[in-house]
Amino acid sequence: MAALLIDYAAAGDLLDEPTLELSERAARRSLLDQIGQLDRLLSAAVCEAFPDRLELPELMPRGPRVQSLGELELLRDGLVGSLREARSALAAREQERALAHELLTEMLRDPAKHRRLRITQRELGVGGCGVWSVAPRLGPMGRLMGWWRVKLSSGCPLAT
Amino acid sequence: MAIELDQEFPGLRAEWRRCICSDNRCDAGVGERLDTLASRFNGRQAIELRQQQIPAAYRSFYRQIGIDPDLEPTHVEQAALSRLLAGGNRQSDRISDALLLALLETSVPVFAFEAAAVAPPVEIRQALAGELAGGSDLPPGTLILADRERALCQLFEQPDVAMAVTGKGAEILLVAVAVPGVSAIASDEALTIAAEAISGS
Repeated sequence: MAALLIDYAAAGDLLDEPTLELSERAARRSLLDQIGQLDRLLSAAVCEAFPDRLELPELMPRGPRVQSLGELELLRDGLVGSLREARSALAAREQERALAHELLTEMLRDPAKHRRLRITQRELGVGGCGVWSVAPRLGPMGRLMGWWRVKLSSGCPLAT
Repeated sequence: MAIELDQEFPGLRAEWRRCICSDNRCDAGVGERLDTLASRFNGRQAIELRQQQIPAAYRSFYRQIGIDPDLEPTHVEQAALSRLLAGGNRQSDRISDALLLALLETSVPVFAFEAAAVAPPVEIRQALAGELAGGSDLPPGTLILADRERALCQLFEQPDVAMAVTGKGAEILLVAVAVPGVSAIASDEALTIAAEAISGS
């Protein structure tokens, strides 16, 4: 992310008024564009996270009014922070899903070793309310004989 | 440095149109259109709305003027949220229904004022020191909708009761607030839809 920093105290001696005004206008334009772009990236992250909800930090409301250059910079920095958090939350979720997939593969390969394990479709990043778990074949007999298999429960629970 | 709104936000504008409210009762045709629009919505679409061109333009603009659209959703996102919570688009009165229809069809918010209480042209500008809207002081620099004489309301807020529409037979001034990135076609369409739904033509 590029940032344009202007030291006005120092620049004031070197630049005449119209030049300074043009510089500030260019800086404001750049910041406004960056804010718009960051909001679009943040929106994309929120949509990617759906149906999970991303917990993003709340930005201090200061409007509706034209923001000062300093406020625009703060806003831009806040959005950069929010985007970083959103992306790390998405990356963490991807990691958890990959782990859940690995566990499911293990579970399918050797059900007996994973008798207490339950993996939800949600943990796998798949829609629906199903749960993968290990159950004995033929009920108590299977339990005694060690005949284990992996089952996927069907559907969502009925609304009460 | 004085900041001119048209330089800061090129394309930010208020467009307005007059129409007559022939009857304040809900219109069955408008109700059907609202029902049709409601059936198009689900949770994912409500979330993905923010990525569409016009809703995204409003979100960006909200950010740029210091409003967090996640705390104070844009009008179209609020309408989508209300639709999900209520299970449908609820009808209330002819004018509110017309404004909701225009919003859902175009994503452009339209506001209705009692035409007699407003002196056009309507514009978006920064509030001056001591200006009032809705009986309360506006901090200088607040973005407002204003007519030739005074502030009408804070930008994106509902109009003051004194300027709110009274009902049957009233001449109404519809104002669409378009932000940078919203085409003239979209804002014009919003005004047309709202005006037709109100006047029953």
